[in-house]
Amino acid sequence: MSTLQVERIVKQYGDKTAVNGISFTAEAGEIYGLLGANGAGKTTTMRMVLGLIMPDSGSIRYHGKPYSREQLRDLGYLPEERGLYPKIKVSDQIIYLARLRGVSAKEADRRLKEWLEKFNVPDYYDKKVEELSKGNQQKIQFIAAVIHDPSILVLDEAFSGLDPVNVELLKAAVKELRDAGKTILFSTHRMEHVEELCRNITILHRSNVVLQGGIRDIKKRFPRERVIVRLEDDGAIEGLERIPGVRSVEKRESGYEVRIDRTDAAQAILDHARQQGDVVRFELMEPTLNEIFIRSVGEELE
Amino acid sequence: MKSLSDRWVRNLNNLWTVISFSLRNRMRSKAFIATTITIALLSTIAIQVMYLVIMNPFSNPDRIGFVENAAPAVTGRLTAYYGGQEKPLIELAGYPDAGSPDANEEAMKERMRGGEINGYLEFATDGLFPKVTYKSERPMDTGKKSSLQSALQAIKADIILSDANLTEEQRTALAQPVRIEAVQISTAEGAGSVGADGKSEEEQVFAFMLVYIVIILLYMGIMITGQLIATEITAEKSSRVMEILVTSVAPLTQMFGKIIGMCLLGLTQIAVFGFTVAVNLMLPHTREMFRELNLDLSSLDPMLVVYAVIFYVTGYFLYGTLYAAIGSIVSRTEELGQAVMPLTTISMVAFFLGIFGLSNPNASYVVILSYIPFFTPYFMFMRIGMADPALWEVLLSLVILLATILLVGWLSAKIYRTGVLMYGKRPGIRELRKAMKAYKA
Repeated sequence: MSTLQVERIVKQYGDKTAVNGISFTAEAGEIYGLLGANGAGKTTTMRMVLGLIMPDSGSIRYHGKPYSREQLRDLGYLPEERGLYPKIKVSDQIIYLARLRGVSAKEADRRLKEWLEKFNVPDYYDKKVEELSKGNQQKIQFIAAVIHDPSILVLDEAFSGLDPVNVELLKAAVKELRDAGKTILFSTHRMEHVEELCRNITILHRSNVVLQGGIRDIKKRFPRERVIVRLEDDGAIEGLERIPGVRSVEKRESGYEVRIDRTDAAQAILDHARQQGDVVRFELMEPTLNEIFIRSVGEELE
Repeated sequence: MKSLSDRWVRNLNNLWTVISFSLRNRMRSKAFIATTITIALLSTIAIQVMYLVIMNPFSNPDRIGFVENAAPAVTGRLTAYYGGQEKPLIELAGYPDAGSPDANEEAMKERMRGGEINGYLEFATDGLFPKVTYKSERPMDTGKKSSLQSALQAIKADIILSDANLTEEQRTALAQPVRIEAVQISTAEGAGSVGADGKSEEEQVFAFMLVYIVIILLYMGIMITGQLIATEITAEKSSRVMEILVTSVAPLTQMFGKIIGMCLLGLTQIAVFGFTVAVNLMLPHTREMFRELNLDLSSLDPMLVVYAVIFYVTGYFLYGTLYAAIGSIVSRTEELGQAVMPLTTISMVAFFLGIFGLSNPNASYVVILSYIPFFTPYFMFMRIGMADPALWEVLLSLVILLATILLVGWLSAKIYRTGVLMYGKRPGIRELRKAMKAYKA
């Protein structure tokens, strides 16, 4: 039984369709990626999962059961636009939010201290939120989402606006929760995070699903069409663009980046390069998620 | 069955969590502490200034001189009159005759220069009772002058009637001023504070004061705490903490938790005010003042206090739920002032009409308005305090008020449920209805 099972949910605002029949399932111990441009329907989908708004049709099941007020306590939410009380002490508001979700004040206090310790900011316990930097507010926001130990976690743009050190810190926390068996619904614009964290993804475009499945499978569906080749001492390679199947050649710091139409052109490139010097790097690159994203969304546009 | 009662317990727990959170944060705020202290200080100062004005404890009695043998029958009685008082306004000092009127005058002036006396009395023969002249550098206080006048009036009657063979009883009766006592009575068994025995003038004054104070408190309470409710909700919305709150606690619980919390906050402040006033009134010297004014605290009808609380709380809830609804549809605090304007205006109109109606609590417009929910808290309470509405009238107005609170509360909850998730421009009624349908609120 899947932890989170979304089936053909539809949401309309007036004559505008915000979400048009999205289905996906997420298992325990999995981070599920929800990708899409702004206005693609990510936030509406998440709000429906959270029970903030009801789908017009379709169903959402949590541990096999339909939505109920009780399920709320099992959900954690990190909203895209951060929300905390600016003038209230961190400890006061986190404990308040935890108590509203049925955690005792004492237990909430213990967990809060544990999390602050984990994020290397134990002295924030007594600080007001407005006194903290944006990145540190984010940590508190994250704690607010997980303080009641929910089994389903909805993270909307969890890492936006953070410096690399804090991104790593939060990423580690997210992975830890995944390994502890939580189900995490994760939305972001940053494809490298998705590639690192998610097993399965859904790409939304204009309220519709354009691509869905495991990242590995999705990548296999797209042809490899990028070759990186580099000679010893960055030696020049002449005549690459004359090889059949080559679309374009570009000289980069990492070497020559060659775009190809056919996979067999890659071997021809390698042979060609060898004749001109010692090859120190040759790679037939998988398409990046970024490319796949732009391509699927772009194709839809045409 | 068990899960249902569990849910109730959980909702109540959450309600209590919301109440205590909003109450605690407000109570700790500097603004709250400052206003509470100000309220306590101002009410103390007001009562003590009233005491100073009415009782004038620091003024020494005026010393008034007279020539001993000028009019002994008058001055003897006057000295005895003021001598018999515990705290006389005037002290008399007799001096021996210096020989001639001019010499007497000179001697008196000398004594005034020396600060021995404030002024002196001259008596000129004028029929049966001498003509009295008071000479001083500064005019006498009106209070002292009227005291002297009434003392002389009594002495005059005493002297003139001394030959008329009146009994002691007749004399006393004659000395008493005529008093018109106004007693407000009830012709039917009303719910007002006019009991079967009627209401004396002092009690009427007292009721007037109480009604006045309660109407002001109600108005201030609704305005201040109502605005607070709206501001807090809008702030929660604009800081987006709302998105987390609505996933944590049912909107209805959240809204009523906030409203009840603010109600308790307002009541706390009123309690501080009431306590300060009570302490001030318990002090021996202020009690003396009330005795002087013939105001008896025990003449206060306890039912009037009960009604005051009932109408405060119901009035608060009627306006409070609406303030919450408005707070929920506004996205930015800057827009709030404009959005709550209609509500503030209604409350203000009710307040000023209420103050206006105090002088004529039986006017037909007062009676009519006392049944209109937004006015009932002010007007029905005023009628109970000042006039004598029948019990069914009070109950009817309360039923209408409670029904309206339920209706408005239900509507506000719906608006709240929808409004808290709507950002951007303040929605109109049509957009709100559309959104309500979409959210299945």
